[in-house]
Amino acid sequence: MGVGGMWGSDLIAQRPEFFQIMKSPFSDEEVVTVKALQPDWAIIHVQEADQYGNARIIGSDFQDILLSRAAKKTIITTEKLIETESFRQEPKLTSIPYFLVEAVVLAPEGAKPGICYPTYNSVDASGMAAYGQAIKEGKLDDYLARVTGWEGVK
Amino acid sequence: MISKLMTMPDAVRLVLNGQMLAVGGNALHRTPAAFCQELAMLKRTHLKGVGAAPGFAMDVLCAAESMNEVYFGFFGFENEYGLAPGMRKGIQSGKIKAIEGS
Repeated sequence: MGVGGMWGSDLIAQRPEFFQIMKSPFSDEEVVTVKALQPDWAIIHVQEADQYGNARIIGSDFQDILLSRAAKKTIITTEKLIETESFRQEPKLTSIPYFLVEAVVLAPEGAKPGICYPTYNSVDASGMAAYGQAIKEGKLDDYLARVTGWEGVK
Repeated sequence: MISKLMTMPDAVRLVLNGQMLAVGGNALHRTPAAFCQELAMLKRTHLKGVGAAPGFAMDVLCAAESMNEVYFGFFGFENEYGLAPGMRKGIQSGKIKAIEGS
């Protein structure tokens, strides 16, 4: 697909597998085209969703709305499950509509040890330290068993 | 309309070896950490990760050696948490191919 804003970037020459310059089919103008990626899944954590997959992001959506449109299907994890009626009342606040979604998982604190505005607004420093330590010591499996509660049994 | 509610262990099993995942959020903000930690337990391999500024969640999949290719603009935790250690380890050891496109 065509993209603006790439002119002047060395990436056009550095990554020919992603960027190519073509003549516009509508004029003599040259356009930069970029190879589109089609992810199998978009995995998005949101603040509110209903059981059908309608999802609402509060605060910055970063690129998440685009990711949900680019992927074949989206999996939503959500801080809270809310009634579908709430989406009917405020349709413009729906970030991701149900028909893009394959699964909805209730996951309170699902972005920890990171932040999920406005529910938890600062990084969990001890959680981050535990993760960093696990990687340094090559003990990721112990860390994962602890945070998922699996303890390696499933 | 049908309910799409699933448990986390069921939902992570939708992801199969070799698939491409666009992982939401940004650095340490609203990344699907719980999902990726659970998925990391499955030891999937050859996953490809995509994001403009992936952070914690995708780093867990890199650390677990589930990912072998990542497409990103910036990959890190920012501020006092610095670079993403799982991603860094994977790329430095040659186990992960990094495709930086910002």
